[in-house]
Amino acid sequence: MCDDCGCAAPGPKVVEVNQSLLAANDALAAKNRTHIEALGAVAINMISSPGSGKTTLLEKTIERLKGELRIGVIEGDIETERDADRIRAKGVPVVQLTTGGACHLDAALTHRGLHALEDQLVDKKLDLLFIENVGNLVCPATFDLGEHQRVVLVSVPEGPDKPAKYPKAFVSSQLFIISKTDLLPYFDFSPAAAAKEALQLNPRLAVMELSAATGEGLDGWLDYLRSLCR
Amino acid sequence: MHELSLVQGLLRQLADLAGKHGATSVSRVKVEIGPLSGIVVDSFCFGFEVLAVEDELTQRAILEIVVPPLQYQCCHCGSSCPATTTMPDSCPRCGTTLLVPAGGDGIVLLQVEME
Repeated sequence: MCDDCGCAAPGPKVVEVNQSLLAANDALAAKNRTHIEALGAVAINMISSPGSGKTTLLEKTIERLKGELRIGVIEGDIETERDADRIRAKGVPVVQLTTGGACHLDAALTHRGLHALEDQLVDKKLDLLFIENVGNLVCPATFDLGEHQRVVLVSVPEGPDKPAKYPKAFVSSQLFIISKTDLLPYFDFSPAAAAKEALQLNPRLAVMELSAATGEGLDGWLDYLRSLCR
Repeated sequence: MHELSLVQGLLRQLADLAGKHGATSVSRVKVEIGPLSGIVVDSFCFGFEVLAVEDELTQRAILEIVVPPLQYQCCHCGSSCPATTTMPDSCPRCGTTLLVPAGGDGIVLLQVEME
């Protein structure tokens, strides 16, 4: 309606929306969570820079827990099936999602991966679902995939200043893993300083140090996973 | 560069809203981007510039970004620290160092002007 005289002349219409731009993603993530729970599983979204050891940690985790828990993996990468091949060699169901350039997984891609994974499950049951996100400490932090726990990894060669530089990943995670601790003698990395900066951003964050290569600290991680499944 | 996928989501949302309100052109879009949202405002604006012109509905739209100041909350006494750009060293009321950001991680479509 016209502001001057109240006639019916069309004019600009202002609509108050107040809706998150992530609303559609978050609604789909909630559906994913229900779907994952129907399989009996707890889902863990693993976020880190490329090369911090997510896939190697998963390989070692599967080796140790395979006889005890039913494990499935959704792998996210920009290109290639390489990570899925590594996981498949460990003998658990795995789906590779290639984003074709996108720097993160979102709930829609995860939904597709979930169905593809479910097709591989004989009895439609899982205890642990790992979702290995695209190697990137920034973008994946914005997107809920339907996970129950978010784990952020920083490896010793990356340096201890990552929590301060990339706060969102640490604010939104429940566990912070400092990986490749077997390299501590060769790098200027203080796990205590890294943990302190992370806890300043998120005092509820659990912190763990481990080396998938030597197995040091791995027991704590495995117990943490077992406690989630109980 | 996840800003681009967020802009794509925004454009879909604008198309839905225009359909619902019988509008054929969006003239102004107001979006709030929290300082802890992990979203780079310049990249978001660039993404909008590139993608909005591809659709007749949004090609003349002006994007307005609001960045709210960040507040911190004390985990010990619960009081809020005044909005600031850097994290205060300690709580101004009780002096403890356990401060956490309060909100500031959202990205919200606030208002749309269309005709």
